[in-house]
Amino acid sequence: MAITDLPTFVRADGPDKVTGSGRYTADMTLTGMLAAKFRYAGVSHARITKLDVSAAKAIPGVFAVITADDVPDVRYSYGIADRTLFAKGVVRYDGEVLAAVAAISPEVAQRAVDAIVVEYDELPIVTDLEAAVADDSPLVHDDLDGYAITGDTPHHGNVGTHSSIEMGDPDAAMAAAHTVVSSRFVADASHAVPIEPRAVIAQWEGDKVTIWTSTQVPFDARNGVCETLEMPTTKVRVIVPHVGGGFGGKCGPHYEPHIAALARAAKRPCKLVFSRWEEFTAPDRRREGMIVDVTTGLDAEGNIVARTGELLLDNGAYMADSSFFAQAAAMHVAGPYTIPNVRIDAQLVYTNHQPSGSVRAPTAPQGCWAVESHTDELAAAIGMDPLDFRRRNIVRTGDVGPTGQTYEEIGLDRCLDMAAESAGWGTTELPDDEAFGISIGWWPSFHMPAGAYMKMHADGKVQVITGANECGTGSVMTLRMLAADELGLDQTDVELVYQDTAAAPDGPGASGSMTLFNHGRAVEKAAKEIAGQLRELAATKLEASAADIVLADGAASVAGTPTKSVPIVELAEAAAEGELLLGSGSTDELEWPEIKGSSCLGEQGFSSFMAPQFICHVARVRLDKDTGVARVLEVHAVHDSGTILNPVAAHGQVEGGILMGIGQALTEGTQYDETGSQRNAALLEYKLQTIADAPEIHTQFVEIHTPNAGPKGAKGLAEAPNVPTAGAISNAIAALIGRPVRQLPMTAERVWSTIAEEVTA
Amino acid sequence: MSTDINAIELTVNGVPYPVAIDTSRNLSGVLRNEIGLTGTKEGCDDCECGACMVLLDGQPINSCSYLAVQAQGREITTVEGLADGDELHPLQRNILATGGVQCGFCTPGMLMSAQALLDRNPDPSLEDIKIGLSGNLCRCTGYARILAAVDATAVELRGTSDS
Ligand code: FES
Ligand code: FES
Repeated sequence: MAITDLPTFVRADGPDKVTGSGRYTADMTLTGMLAAKFRYAGVSHARITKLDVSAAKAIPGVFAVITADDVPDVRYSYGIADRTLFAKGVVRYDGEVLAAVAAISPEVAQRAVDAIVVEYDELPIVTDLEAAVADDSPLVHDDLDGYAITGDTPHHGNVGTHSSIEMGDPDAAMAAAHTVVSSRFVADASHAVPIEPRAVIAQWEGDKVTIWTSTQVPFDARNGVCETLEMPTTKVRVIVPHVGGGFGGKCGPHYEPHIAALARAAKRPCKLVFSRWEEFTAPDRRREGMIVDVTTGLDAEGNIVARTGELLLDNGAYMADSSFFAQAAAMHVAGPYTIPNVRIDAQLVYTNHQPSGSVRAPTAPQGCWAVESHTDELAAAIGMDPLDFRRRNIVRTGDVGPTGQTYEEIGLDRCLDMAAESAGWGTTELPDDEAFGISIGWWPSFHMPAGAYMKMHADGKVQVITGANECGTGSVMTLRMLAADELGLDQTDVELVYQDTAAAPDGPGASGSMTLFNHGRAVEKAAKEIAGQLRELAATKLEASAADIVLADGAASVAGTPTKSVPIVELAEAAAEGELLLGSGSTDELEWPEIKGSSCLGEQGFSSFMAPQFICHVARVRLDKDTGVARVLEVHAVHDSGTILNPVAAHGQVEGGILMGIGQALTEGTQYDETGSQRNAALLEYKLQTIADAPEIHTQFVEIHTPNAGPKGAKGLAEAPNVPTAGAISNAIAALIGRPVRQLPMTAERVWSTIAEEVTA
Repeated sequence: MSTDINAIELTVNGVPYPVAIDTSRNLSGVLRNEIGLTGTKEGCDDCECGACMVLLDGQPINSCSYLAVQAQGREITTVEGLADGDELHPLQRNILATGGVQCGFCTPGMLMSAQALLDRNPDPSLEDIKIGLSGNLCRCTGYARILAAVDATAVELRGTSDS
């Protein structure tokens, strides 16, 4: 669909963003504000023998220098509470924060950072995943059991979470299989890379702190401050100005507690703005590196009869929100296929790398790239077309998936057919240096509690007070539409009040593709409440039954008698003199899909997928075999994300996700030196795709009004486009060179080496 | 630390601003902090992302890597100078209409590069637009809608100038 054909849906925050008047966190200045800077560990594993901040404190213009000694002794994190705000005793990655400085200017703050004296006893560095799980490996954390552990988090040695999916009898089925193929794939870590580096400002008034921060998740940020600084929820207010992209990179509490503690010590507001280098190396948000060993058995017809897999995931030094990664990765390596016999074993392994955390569909692009590349090897092994092979083995409505979940109405088969058709799979003649590659994938939607308030004013205008967060996805803007629809108003009659934890009810914010799915349901409920009140008022006025009142086009009318009608603004005016029009809503619990016949160790909520999204991408790739340089010319994307409510935002998410996926496929890999430090922490070395690299993207949606899902049958959307892109590109490259490139990203050098192997083999 | 403060005048969007700054200060920092025009963004500090793009006598430059003192006596244009009062510039209007703005952090730089491109080439091919904007990273949009917005603006502006 050409862009001009889309219904216009202009974002409410658009004018701010195109004129430069919109404020992002780094754009703000408060009276008396100081510059904050961190001192980082600078080594990947060491015991701190001396940490002396006295010289730094003595520098004129320095207002505070704080360390672990200046904050409550709290260990925190999800799953395994393994970390502290400031390094305590041992540092476990080079970007770990040792101390924070507040000074009159960034230059003075930097001088103070440099004046901090630290001495270490170096400890052995753990970076290799396979060595890390060996019995004799040095440990990143000496005693995991000394930490508070929550949830089903089986752990031992350097393994933070061990998860497995088991169904049927994979060993017997594999032994009886007609064809068995084993593959190994290794994915490098990568990064979210929002163009806005993160920023945090904190200001105290009495015993209350207000924090402005570039987070995707204001309530998580607030909770992190409350937990680590031991403060009640009511004393911490998090306000989020415009956010310059997140992609998961700005999920979780990050430096809000540090800057709050620093501002308290300095008795002045403090502002932290990250450099690009810091943005790359410090936060606990990195897409995890992964080793995937997968074996699949086929019967004589090409049906998958068994799959086993062993996965190692690089957790880095601490648990961010990663405790579910092992199980999530296992699900992606199982894949959206009907496989009766499955055993996937996944281990999330501590190393002395920067911690891993949720980046846009955590574990999925790597897991999907591995298993979809493997899938083309399976098809090749029995001489079947990759599209036909998938048609034979995918899950369809009513089928049972690899963990024993039965799928209600789903559209993966249609995704496959439509993407193939869009690309001209099997019909388009391609030059010798071009090929198509196909990949499918999936991603769940997530239920989380979310709330909304709503008020209708005397002038008929509505404010929605929501905990949703807008980091660019546009789904926050869709909330206006939901409210307007319920109330019979125009979107422009509705304003959102958002990104302020003191004003809005809690919710997940912009994480896990949950904005529309959860905040949307809350907004619908709040709007229904006011709609009910309007109907009562109109019923009295029009001498009709409330059940017969229809709200549409700014008026309340009696169904079937449109002449009996009253403008909504008149009702609002009257209500303002009597009982105010106020609404509130909170999400209803959705049903967690049942699984049958499988067992899952390390259960972290990923063994079944609620309102699962399905995707098929076909990539057309041109390869220069002399240099190994691959160029993506076209991507044909078809998504089952349920009902699409905001087409502009939906297409935008798919297009942006595909570009990120191309980056992960070809250029975006986090490189480490032998000390465990990132070597390419800059945008010239860590290459994002530019406009010149962008392929033609053809997106379609299989719109299914999905039961047990978000508003009007919508599912999540923002993460899914990232899932199968690398797999599709991998399969196109493999089609051109006869075998897959087994490392991600598939850089020119790696492609070239894979070609060279073929020549020497 | 030695400081070398210079009193200079910078002309931004047609308005002269007297400022006293250290000679080592970069232009983006001075625009944002001294002059108070925060529309110009900083996504790196090393000519890598294009978020800080402004026009200097009509030429696009990464203001993070340009000394403020060197901009003296020259015409600086930032994103705040694009609109005509309350009337959005066609580039601004079109990038909103096509959905080329998501988080908006790359948008100011993108708009300035696009403006420079259209100034020097009112009839750019899609390839020309891609080359003109290839110094501006966007992580959100996948670029297609930005490309469409600039293309639509070129057509629109040619239409106005022809008539
Ligand atoms: S901030 Fe100037 S190029 Fe990135
Ligand atoms: S819109 Fe977010 S970086 Fe371009």
